[in-house]
This record gives sequence, C-alpha cells and structure tokens, in this order.
Amino acid sequence: MTALGRGLLAAAMVTLPFWLADPYYLHVVIMAGIFGVLALSLNLLLGYAGQLSLGHAAFFGIGAYTSALLTLKREWSFWPALAAAIALAAAAGWIIGRLALKLRGAYFVLVTISFAGVISLVSVNWIELTNGPLGLPGVPAPDLGPWSLRTKAAFYYLVLAAVALSYAVCRRLVCSRIGRAFVALRENEPLAESIGVDVTHYLVLAAVVSAAMAGLGGSLYAHYTRFVSPEVFLFTYTVTMVIMVVAGGKGTLAGPLVGAVLFTALPEALRLAASWQWQMLAFGLLLVLLVFFLPRGIVPQIVASFSGHPRSAPTSRTPLQ
Amino acid sequence: MDQLLQHLVNGLVLGGTYALLGIGLTLIFGLMNVVNFAHGEFYTLGAYVAFAALTLAGVNFIVGILAAIVAGAALGWLCEVTLLRPLRSESIDTTMLVMIGVWIAMQNGELLVWGGVAKSIPHPFPTAPLVMGPVAIAPLRVIVLILAVGLIASSWLLIHQTKLGRAMRATFQDRDTAALMGVSIGRVHAATFAFGSALASAAGALLGPVFLVYPSMGDLASLKAFSVVILGGLGNLTGATVGGLLLGIAEELGAGYISSGYRDAVGFVIIIMVLLLRPSGLFARQERIG
Amino acid sequence: MGKRSIVLVALVLGALAALTVPGESQAPLKIGVIQPLSGPVAASGNYIRMGAEIARDWINARGGIAGRKVDLLIEDNKSDPKEAASAAEKLIVRDKVPVIMGAWGSSMTLAAMPKLEEYGVPMVVETSSAASITKRGNPWIFRISPPSEMEALGLEQYVDKLGVKRVDFLAVNTDWGRGAISAFGDMLQKKGAAVGAKEFMDQSATDMNAQLTKIKATGGDTLFLTTAVEQITLVMKQAQEQRLGRKIVTTGGSSSPTQLIKQAGAAAEGSYHIVFFMPWFPEAMPDGKLAKAFVDEWAKRGHPFEGLTEGFRGHDGIATIAEAIKVAGKDEAAAIRDALWKVSLMGVNGPIKFEKDGPAGKESGQSKPSIFVVQIRDGKVALPDFLAKK
Repeated sequence: MTALGRGLLAAAMVTLPFWLADPYYLHVVIMAGIFGVLALSLNLLLGYAGQLSLGHAAFFGIGAYTSALLTLKREWSFWPALAAAIALAAAAGWIIGRLALKLRGAYFVLVTISFAGVISLVSVNWIELTNGPLGLPGVPAPDLGPWSLRTKAAFYYLVLAAVALSYAVCRRLVCSRIGRAFVALRENEPLAESIGVDVTHYLVLAAVVSAAMAGLGGSLYAHYTRFVSPEVFLFTYTVTMVIMVVAGGKGTLAGPLVGAVLFTALPEALRLAASWQWQMLAFGLLLVLLVFFLPRGIVPQIVASFSGHPRSAPTSRTPLQ
Repeated sequence: MDQLLQHLVNGLVLGGTYALLGIGLTLIFGLMNVVNFAHGEFYTLGAYVAFAALTLAGVNFIVGILAAIVAGAALGWLCEVTLLRPLRSESIDTTMLVMIGVWIAMQNGELLVWGGVAKSIPHPFPTAPLVMGPVAIAPLRVIVLILAVGLIASSWLLIHQTKLGRAMRATFQDRDTAALMGVSIGRVHAATFAFGSALASAAGALLGPVFLVYPSMGDLASLKAFSVVILGGLGNLTGATVGGLLLGIAEELGAGYISSGYRDAVGFVIIIMVLLLRPSGLFARQERIG
Repeated sequence: MGKRSIVLVALVLGALAALTVPGESQAPLKIGVIQPLSGPVAASGNYIRMGAEIARDWINARGGIAGRKVDLLIEDNKSDPKEAASAAEKLIVRDKVPVIMGAWGSSMTLAAMPKLEEYGVPMVVETSSAASITKRGNPWIFRISPPSEMEALGLEQYVDKLGVKRVDFLAVNTDWGRGAISAFGDMLQKKGAAVGAKEFMDQSATDMNAQLTKIKATGGDTLFLTTAVEQITLVMKQAQEQRLGRKIVTTGGSSSPTQLIKQAGAAAEGSYHIVFFMPWFPEAMPDGKLAKAFVDEWAKRGHPFEGLTEGFRGHDGIATIAEAIKVAGKDEAAAIRDALWKVSLMGVNGPIKFEKDGPAGKESGQSKPSIFVVQIRDGKVALPDFLAKK
C-alpha cells in the first residue's frame, strides 16, 4: 500500500465517528475492531509460528472474565484490570506454549481444544467465582481519568488504539529476528533447529504474546458488551477467529484485519438482507465460495493481482508430523 | 460395585459409537490430512436419512441404516470431488476452512428442512430393559453395539484385505510411488472420504433411535471424534477403536464418580495427560497405515 | 486469476450494498422480537415466534391498534448472548422499534438489557426465569414469565398431596436449571422434605446414565427434572432402562407432555409436569374461550401440538405490548414503558398485570402468571390424580 493510501486510511479511521455517526454502524465497527485484535493475535500463532491453536477462545474468555471480575467484585479501575487480564491470559499462553514443547500439528490442536474445553467447564461450574451460567451482568464501562468512556465514539477510539497497538506489536515482532525465527520454525522445524534456532523459546514467545493480545481483546469485549457469560468460551468464537485469519490471509499483517471487518460485517449484512431462516445457511455457502475462489485468503490474492508479480505468499504446506 | 458395573456397561455402548466416529475421522484426518469439522454433520445426516427412511418411506430398521450409509458415502464423495480435490495443493488451513463452511451450511440446511424440533426414530425392538444381575440395558442398545462392532470389523476387512484398502494404504504411505504403481490417486482420495463419511452416517443412524435427532447433534460428535482420533494415533484403526471405547468408559466413570457437571472435562483431561505422556497417541508403536 | 478478483469484488460490493439498504417506512406499528431461531434451542424460539405471529394476525384482523397495523420485526439471537445484544442494537437503532419482546434464554436477556437502558426502550420478557433479570434495577424490563421462586411457590400447595419425602434433582447446567434446583430445593426443605442428590447435565448431553445411576443409589422417592423436552425424553427413557422407579416432576414449563408421550412412550407414564398452559383442556384456563381459540388457530396453521406449551408465551407477550401501545396512545418507547405499568389484560396463561420488583426507584415489572400441574396417565395428559380425586 502506498504512503498516500496509508495516510488516507489513517485519516478515515481517526475521523470515523464524525462521518459514520449511526450508532448501529459504530457498534459493528467496534465489534470488528475487537475481533481485529483477536484475529491479529491468532495470526501470530497460526500464520507466523505455524501452530494451529483451536483453543484461542480460552485466552479471550480468560481476559474477559478477569477484567469483569476485578472491576465488578473488587472494584478495580478499568486500566489495572485490563493489565491483569492481559497478564493472566499471557500466563495461560505460557502454559500452552510449554505444552507445545512435545506436541506438534494435530496433537497441539487437540490439546488447545481440550484446554479451552476445561476452562469453559470451569467457568460454568465454579459458581462462586464466575457466577456460572448466569454470567456477570453490569460490567462497568471504562474510564480515562475523570471521563467515562461510555459513549460509542469514546469506546471506538479505545478500540482503535488497541488495534493500532496490536498491529504495531505484530509488525515489530514479524519484521525482527524473532519474526524470521517464526517463519523458519513454520516452514521447516528440523532445519531451523539444526541451524541453532531455539524452537522452544520462540514457540513459547509466540504463544505468550498471542494470548496476551487475545486477553486484551477479551477485556475490551467485556467492558463494551457489559455482560460476560460462559458463552465466551464457545467453540464458535474460536471458529470465527479462524475464519477471519485464514480467509483474510494468514501470515500477512493486513489479512486478519480485513477478515475481521468482513466477517463482522457479513453476518450483520445478512441480518439486513435475508430473513432469519436463510442467514446462517447463506453464511456457510458464502464461506465455501470464498475459500474456493480465494484459497490463500483475501489479502494475498489482492496483493498478487495488483502487484503484477506475486510477492511470496505463505507456502501451502504446514508440516504436520 | 453394582454402580461400577452399570457404569462400565453404559460406557461400553457409548464407546462403541465413539469408535465408529473415530475410525471414520482417523481415515480422513489422519490419512488425508483434512481437518474435517463437517464430520459431525455426516453423523447428523445419517440420523435424518434414517428418520426419513423409517418414518416417511416406512422401510425396516436395517434398510434405514443402509440408506444412511449410502447417503453419507454419496455426499462424502461429492464433497471430496468438488471441494477438496481442487484445493488439494492448498494448505491444511484452507481445507479446514472450506469444511467449516460445509459444516455451517449443512447444519443450517437441516434446520431449514426439518425444523429445530427434535425427532424420534422408531425402532422395532422391545423397550423393556434386559436385566443381568445389577445391570440393566435396553435391547436397542445391545443391537446398536452389535451392529457397531460389525461395522468396525467390516472396516478392518476393507482396509486390510481388499484391493481398495491396499491402494489406500499405499497412497497414504507414499503417494508418488503409489501413483507410479498405477494407483488412481484421485479415486483413492474420493473413496477414503466417502468411506469415512459413510461410517459417521452409520453412527448417526445407529444412535438416532437411542437418543433423538436434531440439527445440532453433530457438534459434540465432531469434537469427540477428534479426541478419539488423536488418542489412538492418526490413521490408526486399532487406536481409534480402543480409544473410542476408553473415552466412553472414562466419561461414564468420571460422571459417575467425580462430578456430572465436569463430565466432559474428564475426557479433556485424559486427552491432555495422554498427549503429555505419550505424544503420538496410545498406539504409536503399533501398525499405522499412514 | 482475474476472474477470481471479480468474484471477490462482487462479494464485497454485495455486502456493502446490503448494508446500505434503506429502512422501512414508518406507518405500521413496529414490535421487535428477539428469539433463538437457530442453534440448539431453535424449536422453542420458533414456537414463540409462531405464537407471536398469531397474536399479530388477530390484532391486525381486528383493525390493528388505532387503525395502524402491527408489524413484527423478528431477529435471531442464535442462542448467543453477543448476538442477542447485536440484534437489540439493530432493532432499536436501524429499525427504530419502540418496544421489544425477548430474548428467551436468561443469559441472552441479560446481555440485551444494557442496550435497553442505553437507548431507553422497554422489553417484555416472555420466557427467561432467572431472578436477577427483574432484580437488577432495570426499569425497562417487564416480565410475564415466572422466575423459579414463583414457580416453586406455585407448587407448594401440592407438595403434601404429591407425597414428597426425599427428593433428588437433575437439571440442565444453565442458569435456568441451577435456579430451579435452588428455588425448589429451598421450598421443599421448608416443607420438611429431605434433599438428596443434585446432579447436572450439559445442555447438549444425550447420555445421562451416569447421573441416573447415582440418583438411583440415594433411595429417594421423587426426582425433580428441569430441562428442555428433548433431554427430558432421554432422561425418562434411560431412567426406565435403569429401572429408577420413582415419581418424576418436571419444572419450567418446557416439558411439552404431548411430545413426551410420543417420544418417551411408557417411560413417561405417571410423571407430573408444571406447565403454564394446558392446551389439552383449554376451557380450564382462566379465559377458556381465548385459550380454546388459540389452540384452534394453532392447529389451523398446521403447527405441531406439542409447541403450544411454549408458543402461548409469544402470544401473551405481543398481546401485552399491543395493550400497552393502546393505553399509551402512541408508539413511543418511554410512553409505552409508562403504559406497561398500567396494563391489565387477559392472556392465554391468565391475567397479566405488572408489579414492582427490584431495587427502589429502578423497579422492573413482574407479572404473576398462573401455574398448573398436569400428569401423564394412561398415555394421555390429565389433571393430576391428587386433584382429580376431589
């Protein structure tokens, strides 16, 4: 993307609440932003480090619950609660990272699913802590000093900042030596190991940063929707994130964001366009068509068509051992 | 002690069906490398086909199950040829995503066609339970177990004794050599996916009368199937069979003795522990197809 | 390659075009409806929708409200609280509905509640049973379904006649199931019964043998069961297989005894059910004529009979809202809210009138619905034996 294009996009993002004042649209944009953070986080693990984590909703949910519980029950202010949410999610990511020491591919996938499953059941059954299926209503809105960030426009800026921060972190990571280690790890692990790349260290790092970012998304979600229930651990949330990353273009920086916007807007667009009987069926069919025509994802395809000679899109084989 | 026996029997029947689901998926996931999230939907499809056959067409029980198997195989074959084959050179995430789309489309399609109300599949067996000492079991469940065992045995025969089975094993061990030896790779892939899906549909047709039929019944089935596959080792038929039985029994015992709320957690915890201690599954050392 | 880009552009344009479709015209009276129309409880959500549509058609056949037709804007919450909140947002902001009915499950209702306060739009709650819904100090909530505590109170008068001495509980592991165990457990203990096992089942579980084996071992005489009709069917069948041999009482009104008879057969024989509508003998309802007319219209539309025990809620919710709009004289959210406090009407379940519930100054409205007990005897639904003897 050219510098002019980037500048225009940035200007549009910063001034958005002024030209898109309809609260419903703002709502969709805010949700897209939150899922953008989540998609970026999953992309680190899935697209760059090459590990398919299907338990990502666990980090999201841990972040959401931590933030909600601390502000509701301990009356913490939003910002320390946010920090705690990120920290706790990161800790969970560390556990998963350590587990990945021995497991790759399909086995890692299953462990992540199982981990998310256990956490989900804990949230439903440990009533004293989480209020169980009834959930935690009335999570307070965040505040910045004396100003409450209750309004949609204010929350939009908070989310925008989070997205920008996440994007920057990903970019820094990916364009550094760490990023190159990720790619080496993803493309050919034994070879990477043989030239001295500390595979363990990088996997754990990827998991921790990825989880921390998902925790950030979770906290934002909790304070925006003001209601947290065990449904945040539903497998459908993980599936949604996976769709956003893979359809948007894994292993690219813009792909997850494009995916987040598209797949937040699409179900809402279907809500407007089709009566409820057909919405989800149409969604499934559209997804199949999208993957069929754009198997590498949207962003790599656009990049390939517009730049004449395709930049090296991520290769198609993720080694499964 | 009485309770223990009852729990074990319950677990065995449940495990038999987990095994069926697992065998189908171990072929698809373990050999073809497709993360098939729609596997549970073939299970659901089998149940609905059996329902339609038995209530609308009025055929008998066995024919209903056969109809489900045929439907599963046909739709599986169609999926492979139209969706998976063109995407075969893409990454595993891409095929996974396309099967997620199929999953959403199939489930909501079923919701549209049949509605959300659960359906009950009639069966010809008496409802009074068979009592053997402290253990009571319904005749239907005994039949289901017998049929499941029969299907598992048939699968074994197919993989190990037939030409198609040999072709499958060859393809998934070394594709290029198999092609050089004259094996039609395309046909093998289609046949494998069709076979795996047919087994899932069979499991659905068998369990439909035991439980109820509703559009979202496949979600949990998919997840359990993946657990069984990885527990037993990818592509390992023996592993999937034993893994399925073990999972069923473990769940029953866990729900009975630990806590019913955490019932599914037992399965998850076992999986985590097995994978930590024996990362390639319980049966890594035994014969693996792929 | 080029062809693929065109498809991509078409997809994006299509999505954008759909987003910019202009809103509806303002003439009809719009009522929002949020229900789980897909996902595991799609059946219930659809029954509510069917009942709501009957209410709408009856109102419109009588000329509407002050000459204006009623229009139902129906949204699917996909059994997900996040979607319930999104649906509420869309209905209020895009469709400009002044009032909503929803959202079936308690956690979906709770998730939508902040939106009601944010925009100042009232919602009539037709099914959710969690006590917290009316206790949270949300003055935009008006509930016509009973919380579990009210339900338990409704059963209290029959406890001695039922002969409950040792009771076990088996409930779905949601707010509804847990709330029921807590409410009925307290009520039964106050009446001197002993509480044995409290077991749970996951909402999508199909095999409850483990829990039943444990319950069998307690030696109780009654099992209280709280879950949706599909699981009740499975529990009854498995209880029969294990020869549990004790009284079963289902709570929550979602038991659909007709469906149970069809699918559980002999396993359902003798069981008691707390329901809020008795479509088998509608004349026995507080407004017998209305109830019978509803049953007949439902049958005329070809809807399944077993859906009546839930579908009536959709009717009563819309009827309540319509009455409020009539009293308010306009379809404006705050006016409708004030009018809801003043309504007093007869629904299919019985009289509907809201009383204050919750913290002072921010009360929600709670009506006191009628509660009935029926029994399955000789393969048919009948009044319970202890009542029929009178």
